[in-house]
Amino acid sequence: MTATEQLMKRLPNDIGGLPAEPIQRVEHELEPWEKRCHALADVLDFHKIINTEEKRRGVEALGSEMVGELSYYERWLAAFANILFQKGILTPGELARKMAEVEARFAEEAADRKPCP
Amino acid sequence: MPSQTAAHGGPFAGIVPADGEEPVFAPGDAVRIRTLSPVGHYRVPLYLRGKTASVEAVIRPAAVDNEEEGYGRNAGARRHYYRVAVPMTAIWADYRGNPADSLRIEIFETWLERI
Amino acid sequence: MSQHHHDHDHDHGDGHGHPHAEIAQTGMPGYYEIMETAVRELLVERRLIGADEIRRQIEVLDSRTPALGAKVVAHAWVDADFRRRLLANGRTACEELGISFYDDTQLIVLENTDEVHNLIVCTLCSCYPRPVLGLPPDWYKLKAYRARAVVEPRAVLAEFGTIIPDDVEIRVSDSTAMVRYLVLPRRPDGTEGFSEEQLAALVTRDAMIGVVPVTLTAGHTAKGALQ
Repeated sequence: MTATEQLMKRLPNDIGGLPAEPIQRVEHELEPWEKRCHALADVLDFHKIINTEEKRRGVEALGSEMVGELSYYERWLAAFANILFQKGILTPGELARKMAEVEARFAEEAADRKPCP
Repeated sequence: MPSQTAAHGGPFAGIVPADGEEPVFAPGDAVRIRTLSPVGHYRVPLYLRGKTASVEAVIRPAAVDNEEEGYGRNAGARRHYYRVAVPMTAIWADYRGNPADSLRIEIFETWLERI
Repeated sequence: MSQHHHDHDHDHGDGHGHPHAEIAQTGMPGYYEIMETAVRELLVERRLIGADEIRRQIEVLDSRTPALGAKVVAHAWVDADFRRRLLANGRTACEELGISFYDDTQLIVLENTDEVHNLIVCTLCSCYPRPVLGLPPDWYKLKAYRARAVVEPRAVLAEFGTIIPDDVEIRVSDSTAMVRYLVLPRRPDGTEGFSEEQLAALVTRDAMIGVVPVTLTAGHTAKGALQ
């Protein structure tokens, strides 16, 4: 099997039986945005806007570099965006404009929280 | 495949189930997990392709193929998943442990062939 | 119990336990939080989802902790009829106790005995019995556990401090589709006089994944517990 064939045949998440390091029993409390991201995934599935299997496929489709580098909920978000674009529910431009708006709002809120000198 | 109903022994004779309604495999059946290479999405891990297994249980209710669900299909043809058992020694040539150790997994009907 | 992890595993790992390092430095939410907020607000503005639905689902998630699974296990230990129903159909037996299955999954409960030890993994992603245990720990979603549990379960268990005698059969369940698994651990010796509540307090999340036994010493806290 050629290397590129292997890339087609083994999804980046299909790791059962591959060599791996000793287990580190790591865990962390979810950040609020991670919890919201999980809730969003569930709600998207309830409405079948993005079902659970589409979300998995969307993560796999990010490719091995993104799957390896992004954290768990970062991968989910990237997959949601791509799938919403594919379905014509959102466009990349709409998301970019909304992200700029949200970022500006957060910056304003952060400035408001700073005590006056 | 007519008259599967007889085998299932309901009180009323002559009822014909729709395609996919009745499970094709039953507990105890010997099966092989197919060697296929779907592009884009699958839920049968590579380490189990081509392995022989025995059916432990039929998973109910019947469900849409999750490879199709992965591309937005939420309804339509349903078939069964089966919980199957594969001996560890049949998966890993150098497996270390009790020879009775096994792997259990649910596999969609289209991935199984009778042997 | 936030033991943040710093592994920068470039090969299918789940690195970066610090999605919020940025906020500490700049006072500003990071890129992914901005993206999460933007996607959610766009979907709400278009009435595809309701803001209250997200809030409600967060409450649903917060209400599911290992303490629920522990109650199920303890009830099965003291009520033989319930145990039979639980092993026959995990979902309907849990529903009897009021535990709903919001994610449309089935549940198979696997009983550990002195002859069989069950271990649960999801090699392809992070399938987990969320309705009864809440969300999985990071190690369950990371490469090391997912890759190795199916090929060297005894070595993996030993890393959790669990030594399974050679004459005990190990069954590893790789969860992949519509079924989730919960281990019914063995009831420890010396608990004959325990109440159901006392028993439930002994049952840990990790025991219900199958990586450790239930012991008299390692219980979880009243809060619901990570270990």
